[in-house]
Amino acid sequence: MRIGIVCPYSFDVPGGVQFHVRDLAEHLIGQGHEVSVLAPADSETELPDYVTSAGRATAVRYNGSVARLNFGPVTASKVGRWIDQGEFDVLHLHEPVTPSVSVLALMAADGPIVATFHTSMLRSRTMQTAYPIIRPSLEKIAGRIAVSEDARRTVTTHVGGDAVVIPNGVYVDRFASAPRRSEWIGTPAAPTIAFLGRMGEPRKGLPVLAAALPEVLRAVPGLRVLVAGPGDPEEVTEGWPPDVVAACDFLGAVSDDDKASLLASVDVYVAPNTGGESFGIILIEAMSAGACVLASDLAAFSRVLDGGTAGAMFANEQPDDLARTLVDLLRSPERRATLAEAGQQRARIFDWSVVADKILAVYETVIEGRAAATHPQGRWNRFLRGGAR
Amino acid sequence: MSEVLSWVFAVLFVLVVIAWYLTYTAARLDRLHVRLSGTLAALDARLVRRAEAAVELANSGLLDGATSLILANAAAGSLEAPAEHGNARELAENDLTEALDLALTPEAVADLRSTALGTDVLARLSSACTRVQLARRFHNDAVTDVRRVRRKWTIRAFHLAGYTPLPHTVEFNDEAPEHLAVA
Repeated sequence: MRIGIVCPYSFDVPGGVQFHVRDLAEHLIGQGHEVSVLAPADSETELPDYVTSAGRATAVRYNGSVARLNFGPVTASKVGRWIDQGEFDVLHLHEPVTPSVSVLALMAADGPIVATFHTSMLRSRTMQTAYPIIRPSLEKIAGRIAVSEDARRTVTTHVGGDAVVIPNGVYVDRFASAPRRSEWIGTPAAPTIAFLGRMGEPRKGLPVLAAALPEVLRAVPGLRVLVAGPGDPEEVTEGWPPDVVAACDFLGAVSDDDKASLLASVDVYVAPNTGGESFGIILIEAMSAGACVLASDLAAFSRVLDGGTAGAMFANEQPDDLARTLVDLLRSPERRATLAEAGQQRARIFDWSVVADKILAVYETVIEGRAAATHPQGRWNRFLRGGAR
Repeated sequence: MSEVLSWVFAVLFVLVVIAWYLTYTAARLDRLHVRLSGTLAALDARLVRRAEAAVELANSGLLDGATSLILANAAAGSLEAPAEHGNARELAENDLTEALDLALTPEAVADLRSTALGTDVLARLSSACTRVQLARRFHNDAVTDVRRVRRKWTIRAFHLAGYTPLPHTVEFNDEAPEHLAVA
C-alpha cells in the first residue's frame, strides 16, 4: 500500500504527535508498505529518509498554546506537489484542524482520506470561527480516528459525527528487552520503587507519594525511591521529613533507554498521578518492561490496568491507602511477580503491531469505500466534475 | 448612460457570484453523495464477509450441532436479507450479532483456539467484525455530513440535491462477540 502521512507539527522539537507519526511510519515500513511523511522541519534538522520537509516552521499562538506550524502559499504548493507525486492509495492526516500542512493537504487532496484527532482540548471559540472555512474540506475525510475517548468527545461535539478510538501504540519489545541495571535492582532488605515525571507538577502526584513515604519507611526502613524526571530536587523536597529525603535518589531527566532500564529494574513502579491523564502510556511502558505497577485509580489508569488485574491500584490522592498498598506489595514478592506477569501480558494489546493492524483496517475500509463509490449520473453532475469520469 | 452601464455590471457581478456559490455548493454536495455511495457499498461488502465467516464457523464441525444450526440460520438470514438497507436488513444483522455472541461462550472460544482450524476461523471472524464496525461508523458519519449539508436553505430552495433520497443512518448492534477479544 502507498501511504502518505501528514504531521502538522515541526519535527525540530519532540512531541506526542510527532512520536506517534514516526512510530506508525516505521512500523508500516517494516511491514513492507511504502510510506512518505510530510512535516515541517528546519533544513538543519536531521530527518529520517521517509520524511519530506514542508519547509521551516514558524512559532504561532493557536488554540491556547504556542505551536511550530507551517503555512502560506509556498507551503500550499509544496503540499500539492507532494500529493501529486506520491500517488498515494490513502492519505492519513494528523490533527486536521490545526492551521498547518494537514489542513493544506486536506484542501488539496482528492483521494481516500483518513484523519486522526489527538487533542482533547479544542477551544470552542477557535472552532466556531474556523469552522465555516474548513467545514467543506472536513467533509472529505472518509475515516476519522481519535486517540482517546476524550479526543473522540472533541470530535463529536465540535466536528459532528463520530470517530473510532484507536489508542497510541507502544513498542512493547523495546521495553521488554531493556537491560536491568544493578544499581537500580532492589534487595529484600532494600527494595526499590520508581517515580517518573515532572517533579514540580503536582498532578503527576509526587506530593502524594512523599506524604505516604514516612509510613512506608517505618515498615520497610531500607526502601530506596528512584525519582526520574526534570525538576529541581531542593525546591521539591522543601518541607519533607529528613528520612524521606534521604531515601530518595534524584536521577534528573533520563534518556529513553535509561527509562526502560529503570522500569525493568525496580520492584514497584508507582504512578500517583492525580488527574489530567487521558490514556496513561507510561503505565503501558512500565508493564511492557515487566515492572509491577501501582497506580492511582483514575478512570484512564483503571482501563489500562484492566480494573486492577494487571497492576495494583490505590484510592486517588489518599497517601494512607497508597502506603498500605505499597507496603503490602513490598512484603509479597509472589504478588509482585503475578501482577508484573499479568501486566506484561496485557501490554501486548497496546503493542504497535496490534494498533497498526487496526489503523490498516481503517485504511482498507476507506479505500474499499472509495473504489466502490458510484458517481451519480446526469448532465448536471458530469458538469460539476468538469466532464471527467 | 454610464450610470445604467455600471448598474448592469453590478447586477451581472452579483449574478456571477450567486452562480459560483450555487455551483460550488452543488459540487460539495455531489462529492458527499459520492462518498456516501462508497461507504454504503463498503458496509455491504463487510457484512457479507462477516456472514461468510459465520457460515464457515458453523460448518467447521468444531461447534456442537445445535449451536451450529442457530449460527448458520442467522448467517443465512443476513446473506438473504434484502439488498436495500432498512428495518428487515437491520433485524437480520442484529440476529447474527446475537447468534455469534451466543455461540462464542468462553469455553467454546477456548476449545476453538486449541485447534489450528479454529484459531484461523476465529481470526477471520474477529477481523470481519472489526471491519463491520468501522464500515458502519464511517457510513453513518457520511450520512450525518450529507444530512447536515442538505439542511442548508440554498440546497432546498434551488433543489440542488435533485431526486436523491435523504439518507438514513444504519442502526444495528455490531458489537464483536464479548469473548472474542484478543487473548
